[in-house]
Amino acid sequence: MNTESPLVIRGIGAVSAAGWSVADLLDAVVEKRHIPTTLLPRTGSKRDWDCHVRLVPTPPPDRLPKHNRLRRASNVTRFAMAAAVEAMGASASASTGIIVCMMNGCVSFTNRFYQEVLDEPAMASPILFPETVFNAPASHLASYLGVSGPVSTLIGEPNIIAEALRLAQTWMDLGQVDQCLVIGAEEADWLSTEGVTYYDKRLVVGEGAGALLLAQSGDGPRLQNLAGPFAYHSNLERQTELLQMTEALAPVQADVLIDSALGVTRFDRQEQAAWSPHWNGEVLSPRRLLGEGMGSSSALQLVLAAALAQSHQRRALVSMPGGNTAAYGCVVVP
Amino acid sequence: MPQTHRQRLFITGAGIVSPLGLDWQENEAAFEADRMAFRPVELFDVSARIAKTAAFVDLPAGCLYRTLSARHEARVDRGSKMLLLALREAVAMARLKDLCGVDAIVIGTSAGAMMLGETYCRQLRKSPGRQSGQLSLVEHYQPQRQMTTLAHEMGWHGPVLLVSNACASGANAIGMAMEMISSGRARRVIAGGYDAVSELVFAGFDTLRALAPSGIPRPFDAQRDGLALGEGAGVVVIESEEAAAERGATAIGEAAGYCTATDLHHLTQPDPEGKAAIRTMTEACRIAGLRPDEISYLNSHGTGTPFNDVAEGSAIQAWAGDDTPRIAVSSTKSAMGHLLGGAGAVEAVICLMALRGQWMPGSLNIRELDPVAAFDVVRTFRRARVDTALTNSFGFGGTNATLVIRKA
Repeated sequence: MNTESPLVIRGIGAVSAAGWSVADLLDAVVEKRHIPTTLLPRTGSKRDWDCHVRLVPTPPPDRLPKHNRLRRASNVTRFAMAAAVEAMGASASASTGIIVCMMNGCVSFTNRFYQEVLDEPAMASPILFPETVFNAPASHLASYLGVSGPVSTLIGEPNIIAEALRLAQTWMDLGQVDQCLVIGAEEADWLSTEGVTYYDKRLVVGEGAGALLLAQSGDGPRLQNLAGPFAYHSNLERQTELLQMTEALAPVQADVLIDSALGVTRFDRQEQAAWSPHWNGEVLSPRRLLGEGMGSSSALQLVLAAALAQSHQRRALVSMPGGNTAAYGCVVVP
Repeated sequence: MPQTHRQRLFITGAGIVSPLGLDWQENEAAFEADRMAFRPVELFDVSARIAKTAAFVDLPAGCLYRTLSARHEARVDRGSKMLLLALREAVAMARLKDLCGVDAIVIGTSAGAMMLGETYCRQLRKSPGRQSGQLSLVEHYQPQRQMTTLAHEMGWHGPVLLVSNACASGANAIGMAMEMISSGRARRVIAGGYDAVSELVFAGFDTLRALAPSGIPRPFDAQRDGLALGEGAGVVVIESEEAAAERGATAIGEAAGYCTATDLHHLTQPDPEGKAAIRTMTEACRIAGLRPDEISYLNSHGTGTPFNDVAEGSAIQAWAGDDTPRIAVSSTKSAMGHLLGGAGAVEAVICLMALRGQWMPGSLNIRELDPVAAFDVVRTFRRARVDTALTNSFGFGGTNATLVIRKA
């Protein structure tokens, strides 16, 4: 499963707490800009501990595509669509595939709908339910772009995007599409934010989307040496598998390591220990700045790597260790 | 134009868990008896809902996981348990000693472990403070975490892909497995789908007025009033011809064609003409090298909602043309309900059962046939020659998928 040829990144797009563009993401991470957090209280009841989140700011007027399906869609669709449109640029093609990766999906509507079911079962809104389905954002995006071919949604940890890259390559190998949009997206909601803080109160949740337009030829940074999955079933196995991942990528020449550190030692320790024998260069940790963006996290790491390759001619290692399934890594080169 | 398969793809094992039974044999017996599985919902409160019935799987009592204590198994959701049973049956049928040599597992689900998420939500409303047990629910609500537990049970350390394309998830998972092998990326892949009935999903379909108030789904009936939910899992082992031959595996069928397309008409309603469905049926048959008149049996998506059956019926007519009256069609959702993310995989296994047993399952509960059903509707269990089978899956979001399976 590790025999891929390089993928060409023809376009990138990003929506994050840093702003509604790749340039905003790149500036914030390179400058290690502090992005303030806000509190996200429960709706309809009280909570006696604080949940911090770094929300995506209000979009600039020209950044959100105009599409009738967006009127009812939740934020995760808006993020995915804006990132996708930025990545697509002028590369519109009838033969485009779409793969959207998420962890919680349309959690805000799911939460609202289920609270309605519990509060007043007979009055629960039929408008909300369809938007709770995991593939709603992919559907809206396909509708906006007019993509009627293969469109799929993968769910899992943030690094499930690594498998999406392979799926995109499979579709292109089989001639089903000429290019493929691969997107990782997530929205923050008080429910998911609260859930994350059960792991550790210091965790700050993020949200956003990263999009990569992939092809098998043409100009653009190359995504290569995709390694993984290094699958594990326990924390002990994770440590071993992370070492395997870093050893697999260690021989690759790179200028910068983009890791998955959150800034909370108990979560970051294993990844840092795995890289320490192999890496003593510059490390960028976008999740530390942007928050735990769940389905968007690894996508934003990859977009950042592509942006560094594109605008700074730097080769970036991307480390995606995951939390409870498997680790992946890759390199993005100019 | 997609490439045709470079080599044949053999299905060497299959497993099925549905409201009709916990394995192949029990399901086959239920189809033969034209049995239905609908009963009042007791798992959660439906007093304020229009619909009151669904079809449920009666899981075996006791521990199902060999590697988990009873306390830890309590963290496993019902759907994942169904998936485990189907996976075990598929692996046993394929005569795989273990999962060494399997390159990937691809599983479709629409709701994952939704019931654990619902428990979390109900629990948090009881207190403003942090509560014990909530972390476990947050952790195990995640379907990928459930897959890790399953992988541990099976001693598996490879890639697991979770596909969530609503009601086409299971068919897409099998199709993706076929694509992995066709592209040379893999030689042997386990694929399937699962879902369990949950309160949120039941309420969702109910608020959309998609569930049958009568409690009985009647696909292709002129007076049909909606679908009924079901639950279950279907799993297949797919191998390249070469990989199957190397280990002397016996094929129970050939995964001959697959196509997916996206209906851009509406988030929940199908294009009335079923354009995407026409495309997937046409293309899947082209890949399989079959004409419509060469399809022995068509397992329809056939939910029993007014919109779906019109769209699918129209699409079948457009696809089959003059051969429409000769196409044998049934909807097994009439017996076991709509298994959502599991539907496509379970219905693929039903097609394999039809090929092996030389029978067609009935499309039950029809009183007066809808004129759109211009094909040969199989209304009760029928013994017949079945060399090829086609199954359709259509989901929210416009995901359409067609699988074509034939005798090996």
